[in-house]
Amino acid sequence: MTGGANGRERFVAFGVFVALAALWQGLSLIYTAEAQPGEPMIAGWQVLFTRTLLSLSDYWQGGLGVPSVADGAERSYLAAALSVISHLLYTLARLVTGLVLGGGVGFLLALAVSWSRWSRSLVEAPVQFLRALPLLAMVPLFQLWFGATFLGQSLFAAYGVGVLVFAGTVNAVRNVPQIYIDHARSLGASRGQVYRTVILPAILPAMRSVALLCLGAGWGAVLGAEYLGAQSGLGYVIVYAQQFAFLDRMFLISLVFILCTSASYWVVQRLFARWLVWAPASARE
Amino acid sequence: MLNSRMIEFIHVEREFTRADGQSVRAVDDVSLIVPEGEFVCLIGPSGCGKSTLLQMVAGLTAPSSGTIVSDDSEIDGPGRERGMVFQRDSVFPWMRVIDNVEYGLKCRGVPLEQRRSVAREYLRRVGLSHVEKAWPRELSGGMLKRVAIAAVFANGGKILLLDEPFGALDYVTRRQLHNVLLDLWDEPGAERRTVLFVTHDVDEALTLADRIVAMRAGRVADDISVAAPRPRTTDSLLRSDMVAIKHRLLTHLGLESAPRAGDAA
Repeated sequence: MTGGANGRERFVAFGVFVALAALWQGLSLIYTAEAQPGEPMIAGWQVLFTRTLLSLSDYWQGGLGVPSVADGAERSYLAAALSVISHLLYTLARLVTGLVLGGGVGFLLALAVSWSRWSRSLVEAPVQFLRALPLLAMVPLFQLWFGATFLGQSLFAAYGVGVLVFAGTVNAVRNVPQIYIDHARSLGASRGQVYRTVILPAILPAMRSVALLCLGAGWGAVLGAEYLGAQSGLGYVIVYAQQFAFLDRMFLISLVFILCTSASYWVVQRLFARWLVWAPASARE
Repeated sequence: MLNSRMIEFIHVEREFTRADGQSVRAVDDVSLIVPEGEFVCLIGPSGCGKSTLLQMVAGLTAPSSGTIVSDDSEIDGPGRERGMVFQRDSVFPWMRVIDNVEYGLKCRGVPLEQRRSVAREYLRRVGLSHVEKAWPRELSGGMLKRVAIAAVFANGGKILLLDEPFGALDYVTRRQLHNVLLDLWDEPGAERRTVLFVTHDVDEALTLADRIVAMRAGRVADDISVAAPRPRTTDSLLRSDMVAIKHRLLTHLGLESAPRAGDAA
């Protein structure tokens, strides 16, 4: 019974999750060193979900009838929640802009150069060069070019995503089995029709891995950009907390971050599972 | 009026450059005329150039020299009038069975209703009506071949090219597909299509062909008419003239040294 096996797998996964949480709690009890008085290096759950969570209200900038702590208001769970949500939205805005820009440009450019053997060999060398360039090495350059602006941060993410999408798409197009192209052409398909009805669907399984890779790179790039001078976003909160050695806040924000990236992976996987109904199960999972 | 020169090869040659820089002549001065409606099997050992010849008729490869004329115009690229069934599975896995069958019609803008009814008709004739909405991954190898054949027939090309289409299938499936193919080809009241069928299976050639062209080292080694009436049964293959042809073909394939006297008796 697959249902039974599935249930067992879920039970095991849940067990591992609980074990990890317990391990963390154990560590916090054994290793009680503090970064500063009242600020444990490893914060247990009882701290994280009370004092730490409450302290995130400090990053609420006010509005929606909930005054900010800077304006003299008391810390509250509502302000903390609004704080997390608002900074998450800033990060998401940069991420989505970067993904759409970088993904769109990279994908279209890759399709364009894959049109002929000649154009593909033309861009081969520059792309190898761009791929070899570590993304983080570009941070100072982007900072000087664009400053700490939304545009600069989004473009940085777009750059990171775009290079991956471009290289991945060119590679995927190159790996489309010739037999499908021959089959289409012998049935009378024009070049444009071959692109639309053969190349595009045939690269979809490969694009699934490219998309997941890009999503990871995109989150990383946005966070990296926010570490360097943004005034909002989850990355900003982490860096700000680091300056005061608030390790518990950094850890809690990291958990929020993990939750969001996992959710985004799940969404992309679901989308591709839908588009790949035709593919063998191994290409869908 | 049938075209007596439906496919004409005029001194066709095709050279390839091997990885070590040496050039190899896969097809060497082939001249051949195939009249409309004829079922021709190309047979020969692997590497004899039979598949390359077919690829050139399909327009997927160009001759190094010489020309191939089909239906009075020189071939320069693939076209729907010359449908091809490949040895490996070529059915698009991302389209449902019926969409695969009507693909060629869709490419040239035939309205949905019309192309759907043509596709349904051919799916019925290859015995796949019950899986028209299925994905190709749900089909067996033999069924996929039926889809490929239906797609090519539905597309209506006058020339049919088959490159060892049943080579990877088991004996029973292969025999079933011979019947499917012959039934479609020999459809009552319709004009027969011209067929070039590449194979290395002597019995397959004897079962299917009006004419068998044996190739060796890029050249036409023999050109044999097969007169046995259709449908050909196991007994037809035992007729003395068929056995004689079989010996001739086996000799060309290098499996028998020379025709012995009395073989044809």
